[in-house]
Amino acid sequence: MTDRAIIDRVDASLSGAAPLPRDNGELVFEEPWQGRALGMGVAVMDRFHIPSDEFRTHLVAAIRAHPQTPGESAATAYYAAWIEALERLLAERRLLSRPNGETPPPS
Amino acid sequence: MDDHDHNDHEHDHGDHDHGDGGHHPRPASDAELRTRALEALLVEKGLISTDAVDAVVEMYEHDVGPQNGAKVVARAWVDPEFRRRLLADGTAAIAELGFGGAEGSKMAVVENTPSVHNVIVCTLCSCYPWPVLGLPPTWYKSAAYRSRVVAEPRAVLAEFGLEIGPEVELRVWDSSAEVRYLVLPERPPGTENLTEEELTALVPRDAMIGTARALEPEAVR
Repeated sequence: MTDRAIIDRVDASLSGAAPLPRDNGELVFEEPWQGRALGMGVAVMDRFHIPSDEFRTHLVAAIRAHPQTPGESAATAYYAAWIEALERLLAERRLLSRPNGETPPPS
Repeated sequence: MDDHDHNDHEHDHGDHDHGDGGHHPRPASDAELRTRALEALLVEKGLISTDAVDAVVEMYEHDVGPQNGAKVVARAWVDPEFRRRLLADGTAAIAELGFGGAEGSKMAVVENTPSVHNVIVCTLCSCYPWPVLGLPPTWYKSAAYRSRVVAEPRAVLAEFGLEIGPEVELRVWDSSAEVRYLVLPERPPGTENLTEEELTALVPRDAMIGTARALEPEAVR
């Protein structure tokens, strides 16, 4: 089971380059999928012992590739980038290219 | 009112409803669809479970912050110099441990003693020392707690199972956007031989709000 140490590590690791969206200190999830996205990312890092720095690299790249657009909230833009980063991480690690899965595109 | 960050508090957190949010009539965004698809795929392949995702979301709600606060309290219990700095300038001492907010709000620490018990509230909204306590519990934001803990603190604390004797002075601290309070609970008896790390396990969130005491070592065995 996930322990809180990894959550603290992820939070701390992201705090400089790509901090989790907060409002008055509380994490902002405008819609439930954003919480699911966060939970999924942390669960994957925990399960496969992936350093949070490795995920952060993908996240920073995804944020750079898709900056917040007018009319889009900060949390929506952030978690859209988060999901893209997670997809890239899974592809790079070939975690989804198991027997019954699709083969990830070569990176 | 302007200096009080009210609009930060109006919304409730969408992370509480696990469904697909009936209050959003517009169609699911691309990111939402990708998120759902990815979770379905990860679960189908047995890479992670839905429960694991739930557990993380829950922990973000309840555990991330309080653990930081517990470290602050345990350090204050074992290090008198730190305790002195903490009571003199909470923000600076807490920052020594690497915790702090980007918003620059001050944190003040109030100390429980045999003759004084402190409890925190935000009567106007839900200001809260989040860098050390994480997300506030639902009851902290409730209108009932916010009004009653000021008017009848002893009765409210009794409902939390905390009896405060008449000889103990009760102080209620009203947090604001400018100053957020944290309670330094009394170190429980029988903990002289515990390490700082072991002590952190004795500091539940509510002890730092003032609606509970620190745990005795037997309670966490």
